[in-house]
Amino acid sequence: MANLYVKAVPPADLNRNTEWFMYPGVWTTYILILFFSWLLVLSIFGCSPGMAWTFVNLAHFCITYHFFHWKKGTPFAEDQGIYNRLTWWEQIDNGQQLTRNRKFLTVVPVVLYLIASHTTDYQHPMLFFNTLAVIVLVVAKFPNMHKVRIFGINADK
Amino acid sequence: MITIPYLTALTTYFSYGLLFAFGQFRDFFRKIFDWWHASNLQGYAPICLGLEDFYIRRLYLRIQDCFGRPISSAPDAWFDVVERYSNDNNKTLKRTSKITSCLNLGSYNYLGFAAADEYCTPRVIDTLNRFSPSTSSTRVDGGTTTVHTELEECVANFVGKPAAIVFGMGYVTNSAILPVLVGKGGLIISDSLNHNSIVNGARGSGATIRVFQHNTPSHLEKVLREQIAEGQPRTHRPWKKIIVIVEGIYSMEGELCKLPEIVAICKKYKAYVYLDEAHSIGAVGKTGRGVCELLGVDPADVDIMMGTFTKSFGSCGGYIAASKEVIQYLKYTCPAHLYATSISPPAAQQIISSIAVILGEDGSSRGAQKLARIRENSNFFRSELQKMGFEVLGDHDSPVMPIMLYNPAKIPAFSRECLRQNVAVVTVAFPATPLLLARARICISASHTKEDLLKALERLEEAVGFDYFQISSENRGML
Repeated sequence: MANLYVKAVPPADLNRNTEWFMYPGVWTTYILILFFSWLLVLSIFGCSPGMAWTFVNLAHFCITYHFFHWKKGTPFAEDQGIYNRLTWWEQIDNGQQLTRNRKFLTVVPVVLYLIASHTTDYQHPMLFFNTLAVIVLVVAKFPNMHKVRIFGINADK
Repeated sequence: MITIPYLTALTTYFSYGLLFAFGQFRDFFRKIFDWWHASNLQGYAPICLGLEDFYIRRLYLRIQDCFGRPISSAPDAWFDVVERYSNDNNKTLKRTSKITSCLNLGSYNYLGFAAADEYCTPRVIDTLNRFSPSTSSTRVDGGTTTVHTELEECVANFVGKPAAIVFGMGYVTNSAILPVLVGKGGLIISDSLNHNSIVNGARGSGATIRVFQHNTPSHLEKVLREQIAEGQPRTHRPWKKIIVIVEGIYSMEGELCKLPEIVAICKKYKAYVYLDEAHSIGAVGKTGRGVCELLGVDPADVDIMMGTFTKSFGSCGGYIAASKEVIQYLKYTCPAHLYATSISPPAAQQIISSIAVILGEDGSSRGAQKLARIRENSNFFRSELQKMGFEVLGDHDSPVMPIMLYNPAKIPAFSRECLRQNVAVVTVAFPATPLLLARARICISASHTKEDLLKALERLEEAVGFDYFQISSENRGML
């Protein structure tokens, strides 16, 4: 099956926490994880497809918000804490804004929102939560929000 | 450049994601449990901030038994590995007194000097009796013996430079020399896969650091042109000096540096070349003089040649070889020379004797035989591994051959299976290598006989089974 080969030129990104995102295959893995978790939710809870997509959307919101925009620093000590004040989102692509990776990651919550709201026929209360999720995620990814801490939430002491 | 099968890339990401998710779950529950028990910090700050030790606690410790295995004999072609066991799922490992004799595919024992040698060992013991194990002094105080001066001359002759200076530790050679050679206002351009000692030394120097794509002379030229045009950050004044740092053989890839092109580019833009020959000195080249000899580069074109004695010479320490003026300057300024204890005299004698053997000055042709043997062994082993279907990196003639594993689960599987078959290999994973590209690194030695290599191949094949590894595209026809 694996007839496709991808060339992996190691990019010159020194931050070990984010350099893995520059290799081929990450986007596909991300999308496949979302799709398979939808199938998993459907098989475990036996709910309607719309509810399953809403569930996936909200879980995606919680997980990506926590790991991309809340947790700061890197999981290893070798870089001596130079990224300790930056969230993962602020670290990727060396802080450059509007790269392909960032655009992709901004589009995914929007597409998830569209799927979730379409399959639930735009009913409340799912629509409200889905909309809240997409607004928070997309605003957090704006270039103007780079290193911004609203009301000092999650700022360093 | 490494070609990964697409499916393998996907499954590797998924595996790491799963490991990460489980690690986070366990941390979450650990935080809840610790909430109940009062913390005993008594007002002190915790040692690790937040996530810093996440990788160590949740990923590394799970497979800790594959790393840091203690050995109880000299690292010859066969050596004794101490068995360990764990009662708490690998969080702590306890040694037993049982040992297993294993085939050594992990030590940097390129020319076989790591074990007792008929020419070197008597002379080393002689020096040990005459000079005692430690000089108990720095080089400038009382730590320069006749052995040290002889060693520096010997190294300078061997490498082909006018003068050399020797230090007691290889890592320190890089990290203490770079801050002395270049400071604030200078530029260091280093290969993206350079060793940690170079990274450390460069960071400690205060110079601006730029990285160029691994072994790509065209990208080096692009970076050089960009940086020379822009000058220093913010003031845009010209750089005080520019040093380009490359390695002879890259220890994680096993590939040789494209030295002729890089030296040509540096000459064109008037940058200095710093060549770190830790793995290539003594192991490649017709007479063992390293990458310069192998690739036909005149040593006078490389401004600073650095190397270590730990790999091919069976000793410890590192050296810098350069022009007389540079070495004189280093002797006045380098902290490793002024404040660190000098290299142990028996260790220095080991280096002098092993260089004598390599050059044939001991009256026998053992040196030439060793060099021929390591070349044959490496080429044979590499081609056999490739025939078996492994994906092996590294250039022809290089004694370092990493086998790609990719998936994180294969790292402990390969390591433990090989140990069960009495073959000791070294496996390397993230963050020492890029995330997708975990590998097992095999180092061939001149003390491996043909039977040893055949046995190793047989055991490796038994350890992994033929279907366990992806077949590279050339061998696809066999299935």
